[in-house]
Amino acid sequence: MAEETAKQVVEAFQDQLIGVMKEGKALGFKGRYDRLDVAVKKSHDLPKIARIVVGKQWEELTPDQQTKLEAVFSELSVSAYAHNFKDFSGESFSFVSEEETGRGGVVVHTNLQIPGEKDVKFDYMMKKKDDSWQIINIIADGVSDLALKRSDYTSVLNREGFDALIAKIHEKIESYAKQ
Amino acid sequence: MYTLSYQGKSYASFYFALLCSGAFSLAGCATTEPVVKAAAPVVTPTDPYEGFNRSMYGFNVGLDKYVLKPVSDGYKTVTPGFMQTGVSNFFTNLKGINVVLNDMLQGKFEQGASDFGRFTTNSTIGLLGLFDVASEFGLQHNEEDFGQTLAVWGVDQGPYLVLPIMGPTTLRDGAAVVVDKAANPGTYVPGTGVLEGINDRARADGALNFIDEAALDPYVFTRESFLQYRTNLIKDGKTDADSLDLELEEGDVDVGEISDVKSKDSKVGDKLKKSSDGHVKNTVEPTISKPNATLQAFDSMSKSFDGAEREFEAVSLKMDEYSKKKRRWKRH
Repeated sequence: MAEETAKQVVEAFQDQLIGVMKEGKALGFKGRYDRLDVAVKKSHDLPKIARIVVGKQWEELTPDQQTKLEAVFSELSVSAYAHNFKDFSGESFSFVSEEETGRGGVVVHTNLQIPGEKDVKFDYMMKKKDDSWQIINIIADGVSDLALKRSDYTSVLNREGFDALIAKIHEKIESYAKQ
Repeated sequence: MYTLSYQGKSYASFYFALLCSGAFSLAGCATTEPVVKAAAPVVTPTDPYEGFNRSMYGFNVGLDKYVLKPVSDGYKTVTPGFMQTGVSNFFTNLKGINVVLNDMLQGKFEQGASDFGRFTTNSTIGLLGLFDVASEFGLQHNEEDFGQTLAVWGVDQGPYLVLPIMGPTTLRDGAAVVVDKAANPGTYVPGTGVLEGINDRARADGALNFIDEAALDPYVFTRESFLQYRTNLIKDGKTDADSLDLELEEGDVDVGEISDVKSKDSKVGDKLKKSSDGHVKNTVEPTISKPNATLQAFDSMSKSFDGAEREFEAVSLKMDEYSKKKRRWKRH
C-alpha cells in the first residue's frame, strides 16, 4: 500500500473536521470529542508539539511531569477542536499549494472558505514521523499557533511553575466541555 | 490543539481586535487577570517594559469589563444588525484614503489603484461608505497603514507597548498613528471617535471572548498574536516556509539570545572596571542610568494604573451593593 502524502494527510483531516461540523449539533460536545480524538491523534504529532510548546524547559521536567503534560495537552487540543468546530454554515477547505522546506518538512497551503466572509489561509507545517506525515504546526493567516502557544506556556511555566500550568490547562478543558 | 482554527465568524473579528487603529480596539477580555506582582524572571527582548505593560493591560481589562463592554453590549442590543454593518463599513471606508496613501508610499501602485477604485465606488454608489459594494465588484479590502509603511522602509519595530485605552502597539506603530489619524477625515469631525470606538469594541467581541477561552496567560497571548498579526500584514500575507521550519528548531533560542546579550553586557562592565580612566566612567554612567530612569518612570506610572484598576473593582462592588439595597428597599 502506498503511503499517504503530506497533502493527503491534511485533506483527510479537513474532511473529517467538516464531517464533524455538519453533524456537530446532533453529536454534542462528547460526540464531537470522541470523533475528533481519533482524527486529531492520527494526523497530529501531539507528543512532539507538547514538547515544543514548553521549549527548553522540557529537559528540566521529570519523566512523570513530561507524561502528565503530554496527556493533558492532547486532551486540551482535542477539546479545543470539539469546542471550536461545533456547527456548520457552508465552510469548505481547498488546497492551494505544497512546498518543501530546507529541513525536510513540507508546508501544505490551504484556504478555508466561509460564505460571506474573507477566506482564511491555513498553512500546515508537516514533518515525517516513522514513514507518515504528521501536522506539527498550523499557521492561520500568518499567525503561528505553535509560536503563540510556546510564548503562552513558557510564560506560565516561568512565572508560576509546572503545577500552575497543568491546573490552567485543566481549567481550559473544563470550560471547553461546558459550552 | 489548534485553538486558532476555530469558526470563521469569530475568526474575522479576532484579527480585527488586534488592530490598534481603532480607539478601543483591544481593551482586554472580560475576566480579570490575576495580577502577579513578582517580576518575570525572563525578559523578552521585544517587550522590555513588560512590568509596565502588564499593569496597563490590567487597567484596560478593568476598563473594558466595567465600561467599554457594557456600552458595546448596549449598542449591540439597540442597533439592528444591518445598521451595525453600515456603521462598520462607513468607518472602514474613511480609512480608505490612508490605505491608498500608504499603498503609494510602499510602491504598491497596482494595489493603490484598486484601493482608490474601492474608495471612490463605496463613497459614491455605496452611499458615503455605508454599503461595501466594491467587495462585490471584486475590489477586496486591503489593510495598510503608516506603521506598515515605516516597516517596509526599514524602521525597527521598537519595544512592544500597551497604552491605556488604545491597547497593544509598538513604538513604531504608535508613532505612525499620527499620520493615520491625519489622513482620516473622521478625525476632523468631533464626536465620531466615540461611535467608532463603540463600533470597534462591538466587532471585537468574539475575538476577546476567544482570547479569554484559549489563553493561559492572556497578556502574553495578546502580545504574541498582535506582533505576529502585524508582521503578517507587513509581509502582505506571504509566509516563508523555511522560517517556519526554523521556528520548530529554535524552541530554546529565545532564552539563549537573552543570555548572550547579558554576557555581552557584563563584558562591557568588565572593561569599564578595568579602565582606570575617570573620563570613561563619567561618560558612560549617564547612559547606564538613563534606562533606569525610564524604567522607574514606567514603574511609578504602572503603580498608579494598578490603583485605578482596584478602583474599578471597588466601584463595581459598591454598585452591586447599591442595587441589592435598592431591590430590598423596593420589596419593603
